[in-house]
Amino acid sequence: MKKENGKKWNKYLYAGIVMTGIAVVLGIVGFFWTPYSTTAMSAAEKFSAPSLRHPFGTDNFGRDIFSRVMRGLGATMLISSLVVFFSGLAGILLGAVTGYFGGILDEVVMRITDALNGFPSILLTLVIISLLGTGRQNVIISMSLVFIPSFVRIVRGEFIRLRDADYIRRARMMEVGKFRILFVHILPNVFSVFWVSVMIGFNNAILAESGMSYLGIGVQPPDASLGNMLSDAQGYLQSAPWCALAPGLTIVWLVLGFSLFSEGIRRRASAAGV
Amino acid sequence: MIKIEDLSVAFGGTEVVKHVSLELREGEILGIVGESGSGKSVTALTLMGLVSEAAQVTTGRILFDDVVLREAGKPCDLRIYRKYRGAEMSQVFQEPQTSLNPVQKAGKQVEEVLRLHTKLTGEEIRTKVLETFQAVGLHDAERVYASYPHQLSGGMRQRVMIAMAVILHPRLIVADEPTTALDVTIQNQIVELLRKINKEQKNAMLFITHDLHLARRLCHRVAVMKDGCVVETGTAEEVFDHPSQDYTKRLVEAVPSRVKGKSGIRGRSGELSAAEADSGTSESPEGRKAGNGISEVPEERKAGSRISEVSEERKTGGEISEVSEERRAGGGTSKVPGERSAGSSGAAPVLSVRNLSVYYQDGKSTLSQEQAEGQGRKKISLGSRLFQKRGQCVVWNADFEIYSGESLGLVGESGCGKTSLSKAILGMNRHIEGEIVHNSVRPQMVFQDPYSSLNPAKTIGWLLQEPLRAAGALDKSLAMTRADRETAARDMLRRVGMDERYFDRRPSELSGGQRQRVSIAQALITNPGFIIADEPVSALDVTIQAQIMELFLKLQEEMHLACLFISHDINVVYRMCDRIMVMKEGHIIETGETEEVFAHPKEDYTKLLLWGS
Repeated sequence: MKKENGKKWNKYLYAGIVMTGIAVVLGIVGFFWTPYSTTAMSAAEKFSAPSLRHPFGTDNFGRDIFSRVMRGLGATMLISSLVVFFSGLAGILLGAVTGYFGGILDEVVMRITDALNGFPSILLTLVIISLLGTGRQNVIISMSLVFIPSFVRIVRGEFIRLRDADYIRRARMMEVGKFRILFVHILPNVFSVFWVSVMIGFNNAILAESGMSYLGIGVQPPDASLGNMLSDAQGYLQSAPWCALAPGLTIVWLVLGFSLFSEGIRRRASAAGV
Repeated sequence: MIKIEDLSVAFGGTEVVKHVSLELREGEILGIVGESGSGKSVTALTLMGLVSEAAQVTTGRILFDDVVLREAGKPCDLRIYRKYRGAEMSQVFQEPQTSLNPVQKAGKQVEEVLRLHTKLTGEEIRTKVLETFQAVGLHDAERVYASYPHQLSGGMRQRVMIAMAVILHPRLIVADEPTTALDVTIQNQIVELLRKINKEQKNAMLFITHDLHLARRLCHRVAVMKDGCVVETGTAEEVFDHPSQDYTKRLVEAVPSRVKGKSGIRGRSGELSAAEADSGTSESPEGRKAGNGISEVPEERKAGSRISEVSEERKTGGEISEVSEERRAGGGTSKVPGERSAGSSGAAPVLSVRNLSVYYQDGKSTLSQEQAEGQGRKKISLGSRLFQKRGQCVVWNADFEIYSGESLGLVGESGCGKTSLSKAILGMNRHIEGEIVHNSVRPQMVFQDPYSSLNPAKTIGWLLQEPLRAAGALDKSLAMTRADRETAARDMLRRVGMDERYFDRRPSELSGGQRQRVSIAQALITNPGFIIADEPVSALDVTIQAQIMELFLKLQEEMHLACLFISHDINVVYRMCDRIMVMKEGHIIETGETEEVFAHPKEDYTKLLLWGS
């Protein structure tokens, strides 16, 4: 058992990399080139089933679904990455400072995160969006805010655990500066745990972004996103199921691939004894 | 009675016990000694049938009264074991903390043994348990009976474990490092108890330990294990006094012993301490002045004594803080150069502690963070201040000095205030009264646990350079170029006896001894002149222990280093220190030359500590 885990490449990691890799490549390519225009309508090719010409078929305006999925994939991943990046960064800063120093600041920040945690996250995003207005950057801002508490908690917990470690006490004795202790001495030891939460956070962000676009407050039509494609397609579930299946399965593919990837990373890390 | 014949045990293809043959007779105490990883615990666990299923017996067998308990190639047969375990053989484990169930009362846990193995009624069981508690020296048996494990001390918990092990009068008791987690005086009591039980109940005992002193005192016969093999067996006297194998010889020699002579470092300290002897340890300012004639010192003394006077009447608040203000400003930084030069003449104290009391307080410190930092930076923290709030005093009126090149041993049991004292000296605890004067750059500390004292995310080279970087950031005159730092780090690595190729490795790739070397290097790289070593060798195997102690002595010689050496192991202290200080319940009860204290201990408690080991 130990040997299997000890391998550098386990099957989770392998499958995860392949699945995520395909999605990432399609998404990036989608920004620059798609087989067809994502917005060009064609009345003649309305609701054509998947074929060689249109691998995922076409929708109610005769737009190529494969092209739209590519573009949507890119949009979803870009938004999710930015959300995780901003909230992760804020989480590290807040978590490090509150965890290491404690005191009043810690109390205040933790009570705020408690309050944020008290509301369903999707509801909270809706409220923030209704204040800021819809649109891509507002989606990113509101989701980043909502995602911060989970990162703060994890980072803070690790900093509390490590702040009294012998090697940190020694660093204090050497009179290493406070912020150097925080970000040079402690932070690298937090990363292994932090990465796992970043990956979980990324998956949640994908789902949340899709959900918001589905509700019509995320990416606005005619721009493609996996969520608003789903919402467009729900009227034709019976007559043209591929309209919903393509974006739906793409979301599943993306989340599953990334989950496998993070599980693989986690196993590799625990096998390496980090 | 017990026969282990040609036993080999393997975990997934790797043999950890190799062709071990042992024999244990009725009423005999057999010691198995060896370093960690030598297979002694696995041997015992296999005998008890408690080894995990992953372990396979590849050769040999274990016999109990000619009944085969375990044989090569066959899995552990629990039916056979059930007959013997508990009634015929029982085990005492190392960790009294974890081997009792924390949510059950001690009495209930012992009762369970009787309930499973005898047909006694409830009342009889209770009486029997109380009797056994008495017999193992738990005189307050009723109270212990009704206590949860966390309400008992480590020694009491171990006694409960022993009660549990002996209550059925088993013919074999396996004791796996039963005293390792305990303090020296408690350790002795437990050893005496085991000896008494052995005498009274005539049961055979398998005593596993890494402590050769213990083995020698308790065991009739001893088996020495190394890398899974028994390298030598014989009576305790034979093995320890006339070891026939090289390994045993090395092991015996590695054990710090006060019978052996000491290395040359003591010669120099002899002179030093001669000067000290006439002024005594509770020095008078005059004596000290006469001794070294350094102009700064009397002044310092004056300030010191003034403070201690004031502290006496500490109920009258404001004054003290004023005085300490004054001293911080006046007596502070200017002193350092003078003291440094004096340091090299070998007479000025590197650290002097006057009338120091350390408190533990639950509330927040009234000193602001800034103030505290400021004091620390000045190297001369004059932390005398008033405590309006109630704080628990953990160190009372400590009064001592450490001179350049000298090591002062601080011995005492856990909870006696050793660590609190060292923290106060390092400025990590500001709840203090009295004064601490450092005449060195900021002292460094070497911790006990080599596994937690190095940052696992960094390379050795980085770790060694960090103190230099920190010093450079703090004081621009000490800033070094990258190349200089690297050279210094490599140089230090060599000085602690490590190869340069470790420079780019991470702590996880190093053994415990190597990590401790790096720890020492890290503490010494800024040439602090004074370090505190808190049990630096207690977590290491004896042979490694000996190497690290050698290294310490060598570096002390080379760097003219003063050292406060904290340990519970009296033999280590004897080997390492010029003077020792005995601490009990927050008081320093005895101070003196190592030789002197060992030869003529004044206090009863010191005698107890010394006789203990």
